[in-house]
Amino acid sequence: MLADIIQEIGSTLRNNKLRTALTGFAVSWGIFLLICLLGAGNGLMNSFMGNMNEYVSQSVTVEGWYTSMPYAGYRSNRRIHLDEKDVAYTRGRDWAGIIDNVTPSTDGKSVVLSKGVLTVDGYMTGVTPAYQEQEKIKMAAGRFINANDLAEKRKVMVLSLSQARELSPEDPEALVGEWVSAASVAFRVIGLYHTDEGNWYRPVTIPYTTYKGIYDASDRVESINFQVHGPKTLAEFKEFEDTYRSAIKRMHDIAPQDDRGLWIMNGYTQNMQMSQAQNILRIALWILGILTLVSGIVGVSNIMLISVKERTHEFGIRKAIGAKPGHVLSLIIAESITITAAFGYVGMLLGMVACEVMGKTIGARSVDLGFQQIRMLENPTVGLDVALEATLLLIVAGTLAGLIPAMKAAKVRPIEALRAE
Amino acid sequence: MLISLKDINKTYNNGQPLHVLKGIDLSIDKGEFVSIMGASGSGKSTLLNILGILDNYDSGEYHLDGVLIKDLSEKQAAEYRNRMIGFIFQSFNLIGFKTAAENVELPLYYQGVPRKKRQALAMEYLEKMGLGPWATHFPNEMSGGQKQRVAIARALITRPSIILADEPTGALDSKTSVEVMQLLKQLNKEEGITIIVVTHEGGVANETDKIIHIRDGVIGQIEENRQHTAWSGPQVK
Repeated sequence: MLADIIQEIGSTLRNNKLRTALTGFAVSWGIFLLICLLGAGNGLMNSFMGNMNEYVSQSVTVEGWYTSMPYAGYRSNRRIHLDEKDVAYTRGRDWAGIIDNVTPSTDGKSVVLSKGVLTVDGYMTGVTPAYQEQEKIKMAAGRFINANDLAEKRKVMVLSLSQARELSPEDPEALVGEWVSAASVAFRVIGLYHTDEGNWYRPVTIPYTTYKGIYDASDRVESINFQVHGPKTLAEFKEFEDTYRSAIKRMHDIAPQDDRGLWIMNGYTQNMQMSQAQNILRIALWILGILTLVSGIVGVSNIMLISVKERTHEFGIRKAIGAKPGHVLSLIIAESITITAAFGYVGMLLGMVACEVMGKTIGARSVDLGFQQIRMLENPTVGLDVALEATLLLIVAGTLAGLIPAMKAAKVRPIEALRAE
Repeated sequence: MLISLKDINKTYNNGQPLHVLKGIDLSIDKGEFVSIMGASGSGKSTLLNILGILDNYDSGEYHLDGVLIKDLSEKQAAEYRNRMIGFIFQSFNLIGFKTAAENVELPLYYQGVPRKKRQALAMEYLEKMGLGPWATHFPNEMSGGQKQRVAIARALITRPSIILADEPTGALDSKTSVEVMQLLKQLNKEEGITIIVVTHEGGVANETDKIIHIRDGVIGQIEENRQHTAWSGPQVK
C-alpha cells in the first residue's frame, strides 16, 4: 500500500521535474520563513523574559498617588503619601504568613558622589536589608546594608560597580572601606554590587534610617515593597490585593471606589500581560508564516491539477479494473501530502539552521544602551512543539492542496480507459 | 444464463438525442466464446460499455451472473467490474510507470489482497502467459504481443465471470493477432472462460464460436460458427 503510493508519487514527480522543483521551492520557502519568524519571535521573547527575570514575580510595590474624588471632607486630586503606619500595618499580624520581606523605600535624591577630584552622579535611596533580596542584588565586593547599620543609623553606602569604576578607575574594589562624600556628607563605602545587563537603573543605597535622619525628617515613605505568599491563582491574588488595598485606603481616607489614590504594582499581573503579549506576537507570526505558505499550497494544487489532467486515461484504466472513487481520491491526496511534506521538511530544516545562525550572529551581539546592555535575540530557536505543529500544518496544507485535484480525479469516468491515447 | 440483456435502450443526449441501442435482447451462456460484430456507429461500443458496467442504460434489464446490473453507485460498479469482469483493450491500457507484474497485480490491490499474495499470483499468471522473465520489465520495453499478454494476465487474475475484449488485435500485426486469438481460444477451451470479443474485423470474429451482428442499435443475425467458416475473406493468419 505505502510502497505503491511511494512508487506512484515517484513517477509523477519524475514526469514533472521542473514543475515539481518550482512548486516544492514555494512550499519550502513558506515553511522556511515561518520557522525563521517564529525563531526570531522566540528570541525576542526570550531576551525580554531574560530581562524580566531579574524581578521577583510575586513582589508587590505600593505607592501613594493622587486621588480622583473628594472623600471624608478632603478635596479631590489630593496627593497620598504612605508613611510608617502603613509599613507597620503591612508588617503587622494581619498579614503574618502572607506578606514578608517588607521593605520601605524613601524617595530618591540626586547627588554627586566625589572622591578626591573624581565625581559620579547618583540617585540616593534609603533602604532596608530586605531590599537586597527584593531586587536580586548580587554583591561584587563587600556586603550589603544590615540591621546594625539601620539601628545605628550608620553613614554607610553601597554603590554599583560601574559607579565605583568612575571613582576608582584602577581598582574599583579598593573603594570598599573608603570614604566618599555625597552632598557634603561623608559615607563609608561598605559594598559594591554588580550592574548586570538586565537592570538599567540601580541607585546608591544607604540605610533607611540614615536617609531619614539626614534628608527627610517626616515619617513619609515613598514606596513599600514586599513579597506575597499564599495566592496561587490570579483570582486569589486579586482578592488579596483588593483586601490590602481597601485597608490602606481606609487609613488614608481614600474613597473606596477611587482607584487612583493608591498605586499597587505587581509582577503577577505584569507576567500575565507579558505572556498575553507573547501569545499575540506568536499568533501574528503564525498568521504571517501561513500566508506565505498559502502561495506554496496554491502551487502544489496547481501541479496536482495538471498532473490529474495528464493522467485522465490512467485513472480511467484504474477505474475500469476496479478502483473505487475513494481509491483514486486517497491516491492523489497522498501524493499531494508527500510533495508538501517532503519539501516542507527541507524548508523546516533550513529554517532551523537559519535560526541557529541567527543565534550565533545577531543573538551573540548585545547592544549597549549606556545604562544597560540588552541582547537583541536570546536563543532564537523553535522547539519540538513548533516542529510538530508545523508538521501538522504541512499535512493539513497538503490535504487542502490535493483536495480539488483529487475530486477531479475521482470523477474521471471509467469509459476514458477505452479512448485511444 | 451468464449474461442476459432484456430490451436494453440507450440514448445519448448530446445536443440532439441519439438513440444508440434500440431494444437489445441477448443471452450468453457460461463458457461461450462470442464475438460482437458491427460497423462503427452500430452501437457495439455502447453495448460493450454496458456489458462492462462502464456506462448506464436507460431502460431494460441486464443480469450478469444472476445479479441485476442497474443504477449502481460508482462504488458498487467498481466492485462488480473488479470481481466479475476482465478487460482486454485495443491499446493494452497498461500503466506505463508500473512493471508488468505490478500491472497484473493492480486489480488485486483494489480488492485489498495482501502484497505477498498479490505478487505470487501475478507471477503465476505471467508465467502462464509465458512472460515470467519479463515480470520486472516496463510496458515500453515490450512488444505489442507481450503487452497484450500482460493485459490478458491482468484480466484473468481476479478470476472474473467474463472477459471483455475490445478489438484485442486492433493494435497488433497479423502474426501477433493470430497468437493472441489462439491464446483466447485456448483459455476458452481449456479453462472454460467466457469470452466476448468486440470487433469489426471478420477474420477475428471468425475465430469465435458465435458471431453476434449488431446494426443500427439492434441485434441482427446470430451466426453459429463452431466450424469457423463464417468468414470467407482474409483469415487471421
